[in-house]
Amino acid sequence: MQLSRRLLTLAGLCLAASGLSPVKAQEAGITANSIKIGMFAPLSGANFAYGFDVANAAKMYFDKINKDGGIHGRKIEVVLEDDRCNANDLVAAVKKLVEQDQVFLLHGGSCSAAVVAAKEYVVRQKVPLVMLNASGDGALYPPTDYIFGAFSISQYAVGGAMVDFAAKNLGAKKIAYVNHDDAYGAWNLEASKFDAEALKVDLAVESVSPTITDVTAPFLKLRAANADALVIVTYARPAALLIKKAAEMGFNKPIILSVTGTANLAQLAQNVGGPDALKNFYIQEVLSDLPGGPKIKWVYDMYKAAYPELSAKAEHPQTYMPYGIPSAMSIVKALQAAGPNVTREKFLEEMKKLNFDSGVMAGPVVFSATERAANKATVFIKYDGTNQTMVPGVFTSRWKYKG
Amino acid sequence: MDLELAILFLQQGLVSGLVIGSVYALLALSIVMIFKTSEVPNFAAGEVFMAAAYCALFLMVFRALPVWLAIPLTLATSFLVAALFRRGVLTQVAKASGSPVNLVIATLGLSYVLKGLVRRTGYGDTPRSFPALVSTDSVMIGQASLTRLDMAIFVAAVVVMAAVFWLFAYTKVGRSMRAVGMNPKAARLMGVNIERVHMLVWGLSAVISAIAALLIAPKILMTAEMGSVVTMAFAAAIVGGFTSLPGAVVGGFVIGIVENLVGLFISSRAIVVAPFLVIMLVLIFRPQGLFGGRFAIKKV
Repeated sequence: MQLSRRLLTLAGLCLAASGLSPVKAQEAGITANSIKIGMFAPLSGANFAYGFDVANAAKMYFDKINKDGGIHGRKIEVVLEDDRCNANDLVAAVKKLVEQDQVFLLHGGSCSAAVVAAKEYVVRQKVPLVMLNASGDGALYPPTDYIFGAFSISQYAVGGAMVDFAAKNLGAKKIAYVNHDDAYGAWNLEASKFDAEALKVDLAVESVSPTITDVTAPFLKLRAANADALVIVTYARPAALLIKKAAEMGFNKPIILSVTGTANLAQLAQNVGGPDALKNFYIQEVLSDLPGGPKIKWVYDMYKAAYPELSAKAEHPQTYMPYGIPSAMSIVKALQAAGPNVTREKFLEEMKKLNFDSGVMAGPVVFSATERAANKATVFIKYDGTNQTMVPGVFTSRWKYKG
Repeated sequence: MDLELAILFLQQGLVSGLVIGSVYALLALSIVMIFKTSEVPNFAAGEVFMAAAYCALFLMVFRALPVWLAIPLTLATSFLVAALFRRGVLTQVAKASGSPVNLVIATLGLSYVLKGLVRRTGYGDTPRSFPALVSTDSVMIGQASLTRLDMAIFVAAVVVMAAVFWLFAYTKVGRSMRAVGMNPKAARLMGVNIERVHMLVWGLSAVISAIAALLIAPKILMTAEMGSVVTMAFAAAIVGGFTSLPGAVVGGFVIGIVENLVGLFISSRAIVVAPFLVIMLVLIFRPQGLFGGRFAIKKV
């Protein structure tokens, strides 16, 4: 009896001591001098144009912050993994970063379908995930406390803005519209239909597989619709096939290509058979200026200084390179606002309050208690195979998530 | 859909189907040739096709070799790689274990190696255009629109198919190949060098795949994943009976035409499903394929 009492007293003292202890368990990935960020992007494979230089841009921004003294005295330490834009590889990379490298937060994903696959794991582990440049709408709607994305653009906004531009700027009353027959395409189309209805525009829709090799059938149906403009919301390869087919069949109406298909414009011009196919051609862009233009020259200069060897190569920086900056800026801003005693919860709360103009993208980064998609603004550029001319105005979608 | 549009779609579907179908037919021929002689479905056929296209791209675009040199070099390289794979890998696998499953896995291994090699070069990271050897100006056939390149693809494919049939029907080498396919033991007793024939079949199959790649690459754009087109060739081979060379050709045209007509008259979404529906129908109503012989129990 006396022994039991002593044991109870000892247990009580232990419990009290643990509650009163000033030393709390250290947050994963945070030390007195460093904040560990787990980054993942396609560093190889067919989709590396979507994220290789985007990751480089984010890294160079973190390097700049480190050179300027870091965040509350802590330097950012990046652990980088290759996700190949493949769902299996991406989830494996995420698990490795969280469980083995013990990172504070995840920063990655350049391809929507792949990054959405990590949603369940990230939410279960309660690790903040700030996407790199993937739209990742499937992980953003409905909103969770842990995932923030669409720093380049939400796919809903991509689709809606394409219709907005075709109707307002080109005066189209009927639009031939081609998208993919996957989740990505469904997000695009949902908002496109919403905007088409608002603008009283008819849509003739053809949904194709991303792996389609012969576009004759869908193109013929689109041409038969006798529309005022052809809107292509696909990846680069199907887009090039469609534009080439349009040129072969003498299609002379305006063609508008979404930002999802513009990873390598010089290659696109080659792939469609030369500039003749691009006589009446527009591309959607989400940057605030033309690539290398005065508003975003600092990003290109920073890249040149950070990666002199890559810059010397003709294919670098890749088109999407600047997209890495807004997400990196957001992380830095939220970490700064969270203060020196940062925790994941504090960081997530600060992310939800972000509202700033990165100066890089066409629109500001705006999050809220219910909004997890950062950017919804796009611009349009007339492209003739060599020259790019900005079309005045910013275009977006009227579509809103209703829950 | 009004009648005029339906007639236009029908004409275009048939003509475009024949063009793309001729490429499926060539690839199906390359698969069936190997299966007939060794009973191994070559799951590396798509990657052989893809690697040959990249080999030609490398020689013509990045090494600026003239076409008359680049094409024979591509065909020779394809022949050598495939023949050596047969000699160096498959023969050893067959010796080590008689199970055909191991041979199939070895072909899968080749597919991964070829895809990996192309990715390592860096040329496979972005969709690239292969220079068309023929003009892409439009030509009208009835109401259907084609390019000169399309016509060249069809004619070249038909010539290659005719050459393959001639080889199998009228040459000593072709007869040896058929003999090995029918009864390898008897062929050996008659003095046929089985290993040499297998190497020839693999080499020739790779050359046919390479020709298909050179024909179609300017139309479909090149990526390291372009070998996925071989799915259609497998569908064509199954429709044709898998052991019949004429069946492979007819199967190729059937798949090409059905794919286009389904896309035009039903839905673009259904294009990828159409070949598999054709396979299901064939397997239900004529399981041996359109040109396959009657089922026979193998004597053991």
